[in-house]
Amino acid sequence: MSARIIIKSGGRASWAIRAAAAAAVVALLLWIPTRGSDSLIDTCTTAAMLMAAAMSLNLLLGYTGQISLGHSAFFGIGVYTTAIAVTRWGWSPFVTLPVAFAVAFVVGLLVSLPALRIKGVYLALVTLALGLVFPAFIKWPKIEWLTNGSRGLDQTGFKFSKDNPTYELFGWNPWGNLRGQNVKPFYFWVGVLMVVFVYLVCRGVVKSRVGRSLVAIRDNSTAAAVMGVNLAVTKGIVFGLSAAMCALPGSLSAIRTGTVTPDSALLTVAGSITFLVIMVVGGSGSLWGPVMGAIVYQFIIERTGDWSDPDKIPGAVRPLFSWSDVAPGGGIFAMALILLMFFAPFGIVGLWHKLVAKVVTVVPKPAGTTSLVREETAPAES
Amino acid sequence: MTLLRTQGLTAGYGPLTVLEGIDIEVNEGEIVVMLGANGAGKTTTMRAISGVMPRQGIIEYEGRAIQKASPDAIVRGGIAQVPQGRGTFPELSVADNMRAGAYVRRDSAASVQADLEKWFEVFPRLAERHAQRAGSLSGGEQQMLAIARALMSRPKLLLCDEPSMGLAPLITQELFHVIERLNRDEGLSVLLVEQNANLAMHMASRVYLLETGRIVASGSAAELGADDTIRKAYLGF
Amino acid sequence: MALFLQRLVDGLAEGSIYALLALGLVIIYRGTGHLNFAQGEMALFSTYTVYQFGEWGVPIGIAVLLGMCVGFVLGAATEVVLVRPISKKSPFAVFIVTIGMFQLLNWLDGAIWGGQQLPSTAMGSKQVKFPSLFPSNPDDYFTVFGAAITWRSFCILALVLVIGAVLYLLFNYTKLGLAMRAVASNSESAKLVGIRTSTVLMFSWGIAAAIGALGGVVFAGLTTNVNQSLMFQVFIYASAAATLGGFDSPGGAVVGGLSIGVIQNLAAGYADEWVGQEMKVGVAFLVILAVLLLRPSGLFGTSKVERV
Repeated sequence: MSARIIIKSGGRASWAIRAAAAAAVVALLLWIPTRGSDSLIDTCTTAAMLMAAAMSLNLLLGYTGQISLGHSAFFGIGVYTTAIAVTRWGWSPFVTLPVAFAVAFVVGLLVSLPALRIKGVYLALVTLALGLVFPAFIKWPKIEWLTNGSRGLDQTGFKFSKDNPTYELFGWNPWGNLRGQNVKPFYFWVGVLMVVFVYLVCRGVVKSRVGRSLVAIRDNSTAAAVMGVNLAVTKGIVFGLSAAMCALPGSLSAIRTGTVTPDSALLTVAGSITFLVIMVVGGSGSLWGPVMGAIVYQFIIERTGDWSDPDKIPGAVRPLFSWSDVAPGGGIFAMALILLMFFAPFGIVGLWHKLVAKVVTVVPKPAGTTSLVREETAPAES
Repeated sequence: MTLLRTQGLTAGYGPLTVLEGIDIEVNEGEIVVMLGANGAGKTTTMRAISGVMPRQGIIEYEGRAIQKASPDAIVRGGIAQVPQGRGTFPELSVADNMRAGAYVRRDSAASVQADLEKWFEVFPRLAERHAQRAGSLSGGEQQMLAIARALMSRPKLLLCDEPSMGLAPLITQELFHVIERLNRDEGLSVLLVEQNANLAMHMASRVYLLETGRIVASGSAAELGADDTIRKAYLGF
Repeated sequence: MALFLQRLVDGLAEGSIYALLALGLVIIYRGTGHLNFAQGEMALFSTYTVYQFGEWGVPIGIAVLLGMCVGFVLGAATEVVLVRPISKKSPFAVFIVTIGMFQLLNWLDGAIWGGQQLPSTAMGSKQVKFPSLFPSNPDDYFTVFGAAITWRSFCILALVLVIGAVLYLLFNYTKLGLAMRAVASNSESAKLVGIRTSTVLMFSWGIAAAIGALGGVVFAGLTTNVNQSLMFQVFIYASAAATLGGFDSPGGAVVGGLSIGVIQNLAAGYADEWVGQEMKVGVAFLVILAVLLLRPSGLFGTSKVERV
């Protein structure tokens, strides 16, 4: 037998690893906005928004087994709630976040009504239809007075001006310059804050009694009903929460970019598929999956964005992609989706756990406590 | 002459082993009855012989090893199964159910049609309901249909998986008469698994007792019936 | 009256296309219990190959047949290589794989034929219009009770009726059809009578994709805007049709498809202000919702739809 590293859960080594990991994350979070390039900050901010969206989908799918292809619509509700409140009613952009949250929660709850009666692919179908209806609805002539139809809305962002204060931390300026020259770090922090919020909500739901009943629903509806889990209410609330959390990054994207149109990619079904790809690539049913998925996704998409020009493709992979003048990102992730189902159904996080399990043995604490490595893994079936 | 012989037949579902090495024989012209309680492995034995589940060990049919053969090759070779719980095609008409039974046959449509009419004569109630959906038939009729469907493939060996399940005793009796008649008139060999020892024992050439995946006793119906312990423990009379 | 008749026929023609795709969905669903989310994209890929054959100078009729063959191979290969091995794992995995196929095919369309609308002069297309099976000039129409019925609409409707009849004969009077029905009805018993269920499922997916390909070509001939997103909405209309008719009923798929087409066209025609071109998809959405809430098994389906 090869030498294995043995770690006692809750022991000193375990805490050391936790502390080291936390320190590394904090260091990275500080390094990116202060020392990273502008484009890196932008990439990470976009990744943070995708993370939040994928986490919301993950809550629904990973823990209730419900499938949604309509989360682009909830993202869009966030976008348009903010855009309309800012441009039509002159609200301050960040005040619209909780409103977008609430609106999406209500719409999610309404959509979940049929979801309570059907399951599996039929729910996927209903939500797919919702995803297709949303952009059409925004462009609907009857509602153009509010949404400005396919022309979209302008000036939906946060206004940076000379009056905004600046903050410094030991001579650094990690928040960015709020007077308008460089606001990228500012959005980075908002994005991080949002991910933390969504993460905590998901974690709260997952670790609570409700969360355990969710897993019960996913694994066996009838059994859950017998055990006294109120299926309808639990599912409805989770669907609403999931929708609401997906609206947050939408809202932020309207604030960040300052213009919105109903045909931008994340508001259409392509957006729903993007969220799904991120969740599956990262690892469905695990809290960290969407985080890993979003980072990998955004970096690969940006790295391959200019591969439509064959000269930009690195030599090693040029023969694979140089035949087409379309960026290969979509194709790469489509293939990843299919291959992952065969070889790593729990995505990057699942692979990581498998790898760790090969070299490290975690001795669990007595029953009722959690171990270090398996902490956030979902049960092996989905 | 031995028609079917298994040696060390094991089978199971995933990590769960159900059959732990079964040795049985069916000779030409025999009705062999395998008795066992729920969960003893009766259905698993049938499914393993028919090739619709993974299995290990040896299954010989007419002297050829068939443990690796596909289900369609096994049916083509002359083994037909009447599945448990009336495994008819409920959405299909009675006649179509029977035509599906002849699926593996390579001879002309006319001879299939001739067989269809022949079995309709044996099972007149099926003839009356030939255009009806199989799902609308009564339990006994569906069981008859399942047998007739199996016969349409012109088998030499008929595997019957608990034909009496859920049927009234009178209907079961009628069913067993049909099986005996097929055995006598058509020379059809039968391997029949049952919980219902009483009725099945009467027509058995030989009997196997199956308990949790193993054969625990075998012999003629008279021999097993004469053994007091076996009779009390397994046969319940 | 004339206007009504015209809208009715146009609706039936459009509905015929939905019916073709819905038939494919139903054939696959009956066999394997899966909803093939890549059905529309398989059809679009095949449609693009028909365009390609047209570029190479193949006559339209033969090009369409070749396109259907491409569709057949695509569908059959998807079943054998992807769906069959993965369906042992979980239904969720099958769903993700069909979504993966959706994405992959859509990307391939763009990668091979460019992202633009076809045919395009920028891509060096020799054809000026997308190849159409049927006469599509503005003056190709005849008049019935004062209504101008285009030959195109008429032919499409006739086509779907012919396809429906061919499928009816296939299902009810051939050995393959009997096997397909048997597998759909009871897969274990089908194996026990010696039907190779794997072969049957392969054929089911192939036939479904081939019919879808035909639907794709006909739809491409109807619209002036053939691009990568051509099939998104058609897929939803087809799904609505299958939901309405019942996911396990081929006849229901045809009736459902025609109904959706007519409902949409009448709604768009008489309530233009409310529905218009944009909200046609809303009509499909409402139909799906209403059917699933009120009668989940559809009009002609058996009640197999999983309810919670």
